Amino acid sequence: MVLFAVLSLLLGIGYGLMDWEIPFLSALTSHSDYILYVLMFLVGISVGLNKGLVGRMKAYGWKIFVVPFGIVLGSMVGGGLCFFLCGATFGESVAIGSGLGWYSLTGVMITELSGARLGSIAFLSNLLREIFSFFSIPLLAKYTNYPTCIAPAGATSEDTTLPMMIRYTNEETVVLSVLNGIICSALVPVLIKFAYWFF
Amino acid sequence: MDVILIMCAGVLVGAKWFPERHQKKLSLFQLLTTLCLIFSMGVMLGSRQGFLEEITTLGWESFLFFLLPTVCSVLIVYPLTRIFMKEHIKKKEE
Repeated sequence: MVLFAVLSLLLGIGYGLMDWEIPFLSALTSHSDYILYVLMFLVGISVGLNKGLVGRMKAYGWKIFVVPFGIVLGSMVGGGLCFFLCGATFGESVAIGSGLGWYSLTGVMITELSGARLGSIAFLSNLLREIFSFFSIPLLAKYTNYPTCIAPAGATSEDTTLPMMIRYTNEETVVLSVLNGIICSALVPVLIKFAYWFF
Repeated sequence: MDVILIMCAGVLVGAKWFPERHQKKLSLFQLLTTLCLIFSMGVMLGSRQGFLEEITTLGWESFLFFLLPTVCSVLIVYPLTRIFMKEHIKKKEE
């Protein structure tokens, strides 16, 4: 699966760089929202087929917030550590780390707050996080535990990295992953502003 | 929000009407849509103006800003899940 995923990504980048126009592929890629919808519907069916899942999710209670809390804390600490190695201020470093993998929003917000150079760094670093998540999920599933697979994905765990979660974890973790993505996505703009105001 | 609603519709279909004997086909369709989604992401990146230049000029700092937050997230989430989600993890992996 990882090999297919890498191949798909590289073929996609190649197609994008070449600026070719193959009608079927162009139609497919310009409607990626619909592909995600189809995938989510199929994932929903898998979840629905797994009887008793809702009961198991209820049993988590407040523990559902453990993973998003760890992700936010870890990302902010990691961003703060970058302050010692890069030229940005502490607040800017924490803000970039607080993107949680949501590269489009973080890139735009950091560009508005700190200019194009840091905006581009924010975009690329969060993009790298998303790409890395794709390929780290199988390893984390093997050597840690399933909920930890959500950690690198951050805010993308409800959409782009969800396919890998479906492939390498179980239905319970997939539902946790979606919930985590919703929480993290809602927090990203708040965390970025917070980092600028308080650090 | 729309993604969640669509997933809920899928859950309903899976719980009420979807025949279990088609589970293998369902997995295959999931795989195909996954690969389409990854391909689309690649196209989006490749067609971004100045994508290659951005990677080469801001690569090192971007790499650090990706690596440290990601690694710290994993390092914090893993022990937290071991402490607070112990029972769930055990049940799942048995």
